[in-house]
Amino acid sequence: MTSISISQLRVTAGSVPLLHDVSLEFGSGQWHTVVGPNGAGKTTLVEATAGVRRRSAGSIQIDGRDVASMSERERAQSLAFVPQHPVVPAGMTVRDYVGLGRTAYRGLLRGPSAKDRDIVAEVLDRVEITAFAERDVITLSGGERQRMVLARALAQHTMVVILDEPITGLDIRHQVDLLEVLRREVRECGITVVATLHDLTLAAQFADRMVLLADGAVQAEGVPHDVLHSPQLQSSYEVELQVVTVGGSDVVVPVSSAR
Amino acid sequence: MTSRSTRSRLWLITLFGVVALVVAMVVGLGVGPLALSWWHIIGDVGSHLGLGHSRLDSLESTVLWQLRAPRLALGLLVGAMLSVAGGTYQGVFRNPLADPYLLGVAAGAGLGATIAIVQIGDGLSTPTWTPWLAFAGALVAVGLTWLVGGRGTSATLVLGGVAISSLLTSAQTFVQQSSHGSIARVYIWLLGSLGGASWHGVVMVLPYVLICSLICVGAAGALDVMSVGDAESRSLGLPVERVRLVVVAAASLGTAAVVSAVGLIGFVGIIVPHVVRLLVGTSYRRILPLSALLGGSFLVLTDTVARSVVSPSELPLGVITALIGAPIFVVLLRSRTTASL
Repeated sequence: MTSISISQLRVTAGSVPLLHDVSLEFGSGQWHTVVGPNGAGKTTLVEATAGVRRRSAGSIQIDGRDVASMSERERAQSLAFVPQHPVVPAGMTVRDYVGLGRTAYRGLLRGPSAKDRDIVAEVLDRVEITAFAERDVITLSGGERQRMVLARALAQHTMVVILDEPITGLDIRHQVDLLEVLRREVRECGITVVATLHDLTLAAQFADRMVLLADGAVQAEGVPHDVLHSPQLQSSYEVELQVVTVGGSDVVVPVSSAR
Repeated sequence: MTSRSTRSRLWLITLFGVVALVVAMVVGLGVGPLALSWWHIIGDVGSHLGLGHSRLDSLESTVLWQLRAPRLALGLLVGAMLSVAGGTYQGVFRNPLADPYLLGVAAGAGLGATIAIVQIGDGLSTPTWTPWLAFAGALVAVGLTWLVGGRGTSATLVLGGVAISSLLTSAQTFVQQSSHGSIARVYIWLLGSLGGASWHGVVMVLPYVLICSLICVGAAGALDVMSVGDAESRSLGLPVERVRLVVVAAASLGTAAVVSAVGLIGFVGIIVPHVVRLLVGTSYRRILPLSALLGGSFLVLTDTVARSVVSPSELPLGVITALIGAPIFVVLLRSRTTASL
């Protein structure tokens, strides 16, 4: 079980503040979804948390250890990060791509071990992409590609997985399929998931906790139902929203266009 | 992590590489103004090992052991090093146009060699210390490039290489034009040739090629990781900056060593890794060792053509490498997807 503690986090791009004084706790074994309008700072938050973006101030700790003090290898053994637009190198097989997730466990001069191969095979199976393991990565559909990138993250065998917009560009079926795979990992393996999502309804259905960001600051945080019913939701998105209950789940419906 | 069909293909290409190496050795030792029978060559090798008697006379033996054998050995080493360095640069910079001269090795070596040649004015021969000055020039060039762009991204390093190359090429042209009597010798050096090969040159180059190639091939797995870009490689646990420093240093040092010995031989370093990539896929764990194998053979075979077609004089080696290599590459390129480049 691994938790993340963010304190007084500030990130700037030149003189432009992207995040200011963000403090959050991502509890272990839970799914945390970060929502907010475009430009709210969601990507900046998850990239800083994953250690791939420099911060100006504050601390980000995983189980009490600051991410900035970790080497690349230590960090990759602690958390896996799925970027919004992962590079998918043409000519590489799906199996080899997923095998990149084992980088942090190999010596620089060593190839994959038998254990690495076993883990890759097992992860391919878990995310149900074994059937096209030998295919070139560029032949995959969007949904298959996202599963493959998730498989690479799972092959890192970390207790924290951070994802930036993992379902963008997917149809509703593939969105749900991917989120189901992630939920299974949280439930069965106890991993901590931090994901940014645009779809508030899906976010509410899958997340244990929700963070609402706007203008680089936390506007609301809590269980999805509370965040969706908070007055900050509509002011953050600058659009009138109605939250209705369908089959026991919250569904967010825009009522009018932007003011 | 390769499928059975990929492994079969890999073995096939490796076998082809070994056959090409044997053919290169046969041709490299046997072909020339003084034709040597392959059986006589084997007999002479056997006699040196205490098996049987040589049928070569002393002239033939001298041609074999003092001219062709060192030329063959140097050709194999130079071709292998340039191909491995080119493949390494293509991997570390994720740039299919990268060649071993990307960071200024050619411009620096060219300036060093030109200074050496111009210093002896209108003499007929190239000074013996030309390789040393070329080597120093190449290392200074890469050092300057690293100072300019080494702290940034791969792109800033490449741009640093462009700037330093331009600067040193200008300086080289200036020095070259200041002494009209030596222009021809400068050009001959710049075009590259194995004509001056000797065992001394082989011994000088061998440790650099062995160590630098081994480092590059050893880091091939890291280059595979870097195919997803610096940021993702870092998040996967790869110390990107350290890997880049080590492999760029190794590839540059190896290139500087071979360039100082034989001049600037173009085309091999950029095309051989691409041909291998088209044949065996995009993993550098396959590309780099096979580039070494095929690059060496390719250079020996093209050198044999370069010294045979207008014998007893020779064509510039870079001309022949492009003349033979380009059509092969075009045929392969048209038969396969360019997406894998």
